[in-house]
Amino acid sequence: YTIMLKSVVRAVGAAARLSSASTSTVRALPLSYPALRAPSSATIRPFTRSLWMLNNNGASSGYRPKLFSSKVLSPSVSCGCGGLHTEGDKAFGDFLSDEIKEEKKIQKNKTLPKVSGGWELEMNGAEAKLTRNVSGDKVTVTFNINNSIPPNFEEEVEQGQQKSAEEEPEIVSTPNFVVEVTKQAAKHSLVFDCHFPEDEISHGEGEGEEESDIFAIREVSFQPEGDSEWKETSYTLNTDSLDWALYDHLMDFLADRGVDNTFADELMELSTAIEHQEYIKFLEDLQGFVKCN
Amino acid sequence: MGVVLRNLQKVVPLRRARLRRDVDTLRHILGIQKFDLGIICVDNRRMQQINHIYRKKNSPTDVLSFPFYEDLRPGKLPCPLHRDELNLGDIFLGVEFVMKQCQEESLDLHGALTVVTAHGICHLLGYRHETEEEWTEMQQRENYILSEYSRLTGQHLEPLMKRCSQDR
Repeated sequence: YTIMLKSVVRAVGAAARLSSASTSTVRALPLSYPALRAPSSATIRPFTRSLWMLNNNGASSGYRPKLFSSKVLSPSVSCGCGGLHTEGDKAFGDFLSDEIKEEKKIQKNKTLPKVSGGWELEMNGAEAKLTRNVSGDKVTVTFNINNSIPPNFEEEVEQGQQKSAEEEPEIVSTPNFVVEVTKQAAKHSLVFDCHFPEDEISHGEGEGEEESDIFAIREVSFQPEGDSEWKETSYTLNTDSLDWALYDHLMDFLADRGVDNTFADELMELSTAIEHQEYIKFLEDLQGFVKCN
Repeated sequence: MGVVLRNLQKVVPLRRARLRRDVDTLRHILGIQKFDLGIICVDNRRMQQINHIYRKKNSPTDVLSFPFYEDLRPGKLPCPLHRDELNLGDIFLGVEFVMKQCQEESLDLHGALTVVTAHGICHLLGYRHETEEEWTEMQQRENYILSEYSRLTGQHLEPLMKRCSQDR
């Protein structure tokens, strides 16, 4: 699972702040908190993904499950296409056919859910961009569905609740997202790096326990407008030790531009749908890659 | 520290900075600025859950207070020995519930939330209304807070006329 390998690279470099971690074309990718999958506590989908979670060392060793490593000595399927096609590949391909069928069956939205407020959606692979104009202010929200599914912790088991086989934890994508607000004819945008705090995501029924906002702002900075490189020399405000009144003003500022709790919830729905869609597409690409046509 | 404000709901569009400012004014009136306070804004669904768990009442309400100090004499400020005890507790504001009341009575939402929060803070400070005497004492305190609030801000707020939520 190549995404897990990339997570390792990011985790190693994760000490760097957002502003210095930008290796992608979009500076907006906050790489400081990759959602590393802890295999033992990962959310388990019925099929393919559960296989990846069997291994405890997946994230750190780049392990590929033995189930799929072919004994190269086994005779290849004669196909004349010039590529290697082993018995393992054939089994893999058949397995993928079933997987794809099942994933499509459980796919919640065949079309992507809309985000209310007149946002336009642009997709570029794993990256999504929502744009909207609010009385002259251009607002762009960018997020990447890679590493956007946090592991679920075994809270329910500890509380002694028994889950039936059907009640598997729902996979929810909670990507970090970046909001850029650009005033008309301005050279700079006000950029907010936002995230979904972990404890809120798990929808813990906090009875007087620590509960967090649905989404939170982590960093704020002025950056050049458009997709240019992140300007390291721009001061970046970190909200960790920020005056809370100032924080509330920043949240109100975003809310006035359509980025509020409703938006955050809908973004989660959208991201989850996109992630599932891309996952199925990936399975299909895998299938095409290993099959011999 | 100070006031920890959380907005867990999406039903009511809240002005966080306004709410914080109003709560800070109440804290100033009561002389409790050095104490931490949690204000958590929730919808009817969440409020009903909490009300059910803690008061066995399966319905939403406007405010529920969870005091840090459980046996305070009404109005007597705690004298904590340690800095981490400088905490009055948490107030859950049923903003959806209050919003509906405001719509029915044509009231300003944030004004109503201030009144409800004042009531909640009184509970954190040991005020109760189990008896008629306690009710009178609490009502007097609330009236004082709201008249001071009016003097400081120019905003006249009506106290909660109905019996307190923690009775419902």
